[in-house]
Amino acid sequence: MENLISESLTADLLIVVWTIVASVIFAIIAPIVGCLFAGIDRKISARMQGRVGPPILQPYYDFRKLMSKEKSATNGSEGTYLTFALIFVFIAGGVFIQGGNILLSIFIVTLASLLFIMAAYSSRSPYAEVGASREILQVMAYEPIIMLFGVGVYFVGQSFNVGDLFMLPQPIIIFLIPVFVCFVIALIVKFRKSPFDISMSHHAHQEIVRGMTTEMSGPNLAKVEIMHWSENFLFIGWILVFFISANPVSIIIGIIVAILVYLLMIWIDNNFARVKWQSCVKWLWILGLVVCGANFIVLMVL
Amino acid sequence: MEELIKDLLFGLIGTPIIAAVVMLFIREGKIRNILTYAFAAIIAIGSIILVATNIGATYKEIAVPDITLEITHFLGIALSVVIAGVIIGFGIKYKNKFAIILAVIQLLASLYVEIFIEGGAAPKSTSCLYIDSLTVLMVFIIGVIGTGIIVYALGYMTDHNKHLAPEETDRSNNFFALMFLFLSAMFIIVFSNNMIWMFAGWEVTTLCSFLLIGYTKTDEAIKNSFRQINMNLLGGIAFAAAMFLSATQLQTLEFNTFVTTGLTSQALISLPACLFAFAAITKAAQMPFQSWLLGAMVAPTPTSALLHSSTMVKAGVFLLIKLSPIFFTCIAPQLMVMLVGGVSFLLCSFMAISQTNAKRVLAYSTIANLGLITACAGVGSPEAIWAAMFLMLFHACAKSLLFLCVGTAEHHIGSRDIEDMDGLFRRMPILARFMMVGMMAMFIAPFGMLISKWAALVSFIDSGQIVLILILAFGSAATFMFWAKWLGKLAGIVAHEKNIEKTVHTSEWIGQMVMVVLVILGILAMPVISEAIIMPYILDVFSAFGQYGIYYVVSLQYVGMSNLFISLISASVMVLVLFIGSGKANKKNQADIYLAGAGINSEKRQYLGSLQTKTEATSRNMYLDKYFGEKRITPIGNTVNIIIMIASALFAVLSCMGMM
Repeated sequence: MENLISESLTADLLIVVWTIVASVIFAIIAPIVGCLFAGIDRKISARMQGRVGPPILQPYYDFRKLMSKEKSATNGSEGTYLTFALIFVFIAGGVFIQGGNILLSIFIVTLASLLFIMAAYSSRSPYAEVGASREILQVMAYEPIIMLFGVGVYFVGQSFNVGDLFMLPQPIIIFLIPVFVCFVIALIVKFRKSPFDISMSHHAHQEIVRGMTTEMSGPNLAKVEIMHWSENFLFIGWILVFFISANPVSIIIGIIVAILVYLLMIWIDNNFARVKWQSCVKWLWILGLVVCGANFIVLMVL
Repeated sequence: MEELIKDLLFGLIGTPIIAAVVMLFIREGKIRNILTYAFAAIIAIGSIILVATNIGATYKEIAVPDITLEITHFLGIALSVVIAGVIIGFGIKYKNKFAIILAVIQLLASLYVEIFIEGGAAPKSTSCLYIDSLTVLMVFIIGVIGTGIIVYALGYMTDHNKHLAPEETDRSNNFFALMFLFLSAMFIIVFSNNMIWMFAGWEVTTLCSFLLIGYTKTDEAIKNSFRQINMNLLGGIAFAAAMFLSATQLQTLEFNTFVTTGLTSQALISLPACLFAFAAITKAAQMPFQSWLLGAMVAPTPTSALLHSSTMVKAGVFLLIKLSPIFFTCIAPQLMVMLVGGVSFLLCSFMAISQTNAKRVLAYSTIANLGLITACAGVGSPEAIWAAMFLMLFHACAKSLLFLCVGTAEHHIGSRDIEDMDGLFRRMPILARFMMVGMMAMFIAPFGMLISKWAALVSFIDSGQIVLILILAFGSAATFMFWAKWLGKLAGIVAHEKNIEKTVHTSEWIGQMVMVVLVILGILAMPVISEAIIMPYILDVFSAFGQYGIYYVVSLQYVGMSNLFISLISASVMVLVLFIGSGKANKKNQADIYLAGAGINSEKRQYLGSLQTKTEATSRNMYLDKYFGEKRITPIGNTVNIIIMIASALFAVLSCMGMM
């Protein structure tokens, strides 16, 4: 018995070590890939608007320029909060790509969002505070669906561990199409895309002063950019979760679907104007309650 | 060993009573301080020894000498009369008819059970005291957190008395006496197997909180204390009725026998189980009884801390957790407890969003979390009990920390409004960080509370409770909203604010430090607590189910050690961020914030507007009163829960009749 306990303890500690390693790997890959995505995003958006658009590496150039700027902030804590928000995104990514617990990954991303919100509040800029309040509303809007996504994974796959899904005969999407649809809609908020880019928008025409990041500049703003890229990479990974199974073909299908979803987001982003926060909360909650709820009830009955 | 446990048990019940009597007669401040420290230390150490010597304890009865039984029998009767007498006395003084009527009904009911039923319909109970792992957990919560709050109260009451009007006398000796008496009553509740003994403790807690809420004797305090006593007397009457039914139909007045018999004769136990659950729901301030706990806010803050974290409401959920094996098998009380808890969790989380008063936010959050514990107890599966016990522990630590912090903040900034806590990070740097730790511990990964919620979620999925899954998803989202915006207010940094926390009393810091250490240690020790206290209890309880139960418990490894370790690392990082990484002055390149004009004073957010007028920018958090206001939501919750309770009671009565 004692042997068993110490053995499982070693196994657990090993998982922790792997998670840390995976976090480091994630911290290297995610910003690079995320940055490329952002570049492609801008290119496609430009084409949709009949422009040529910047080079694909433009986000990277912007980032380098931000890094080279002088450090200046309204307070000393802002930078700390942002650094740790970034670190927590990396840990969430590490948990995920290590094949770990999807709920833990979700919760740690939420922690990162909270730190970002605190960074915005710490400046006491009225604009940043309004942005932060709206960010809180956004979290409140999408959190039920994201959590129900985790529930769905466990409900169908019998495990929260992403790694265990590779043993399933068929991917969980088969039973969770309604949840998937809601999840994609909730992701629009997480990707900070219009019509749900309520707390800070990258469309200049939608905002007079730029919400949460109003007081962030130079290297601090660069951290926000990296965080955003890494999060996007992670969320695309979450889409893949729906398609994982023992059959490698389903994973390829998953990658294709993830790319299509991303393209769809860009299209939506360019074709919809920002909505009021009331609509954002209302619609996401209705979707979560009715569609996801119905999905689970049907699964229960079957 | 047996002797030691028995001595500790009597010691823990007796010491607070002695302390209470001593406190009554000591008005001199310094001596009182020393004695309070001493008594608190004795109780806390005694509790810790009891916990340490009973790691992994299974159900064990503690033999009581016959002569003690005889004495306590008469003591019990005398106590019922005294309690009713006090309530009736106050009822006459403040002209509250309802309280008098309820007190009389309760007195008659309890006397009937105590004199005629015990030894009549049901054999005289011989096993009166017991200890098991749930008791051990409760002893820790009462003995360590409860005494921490009393120590805090020393400093708090000194400040509180400064605000007294000149014609008022300092009655804080009564205050401390009541606080100690409260602890003793709680110990009686968790140690008693005999329902009559437990009922005595139950009634003493009701009376103590009545007196504590009314302590300031303002009109509002009196009104709210009567609301408390009326609601809890209803619960007390239900408790007495449940005892009567248990004695007449199941021939027992022992809790242990009640639960084990209940597992086999479900039809008979439905109704008494519903009645016990009703009593527990009133005590745990679930909707529609939430108003007494909200009203309790008029009392000095240590009272709120005590009521919310280690006593009173915890007695309610303790009883529910104790009964949860019955709920697991018996549908009528299960539906009632599960749904009432779930609805309270969801709607109180919503209402917390609309509150600007810090103490009211804390109160709604308490009711919400107790609702979740109630729902878990209602589900009653081993996973759910695991989650409920952890929720109870972490809630006790985090919530008492928050109350203590808000109390101190209130004395120093002169307000309990969240909007006035703007920039507390600089004004009261340590206190603000303590508060932030407390808040994070309440709602966000990787702290204990969230991990317990996660366990609750798993237990809901495993038992197929879709309604509860949805409730948890939406309730948690609302929880994020009200904590995050408060946290943000605290985090605002005004560079050159004066530090005003130098005058906080040492005893206040001690109380808060104890809670902070517990919050952080709690997550550190989660695997250990699980193995040493929670799992033994669950195994113990579910061994009654035979093979089935054991199988169930094995599947408990869902949260997983490795995830706990990762949480632990993240939590430590988070605490480091707050205490070490943040708050450094930004000497180089201090930037002013952007305001829509030429800035005059960045810290006061003043700027020169377009017409050369001096303008001050202000901003408030969103409270969304239009959507989540009390006026809108309270009636919904009350109606729904009353319907649920009536329906389940009818269901229970019908199943009872079907049996007969």
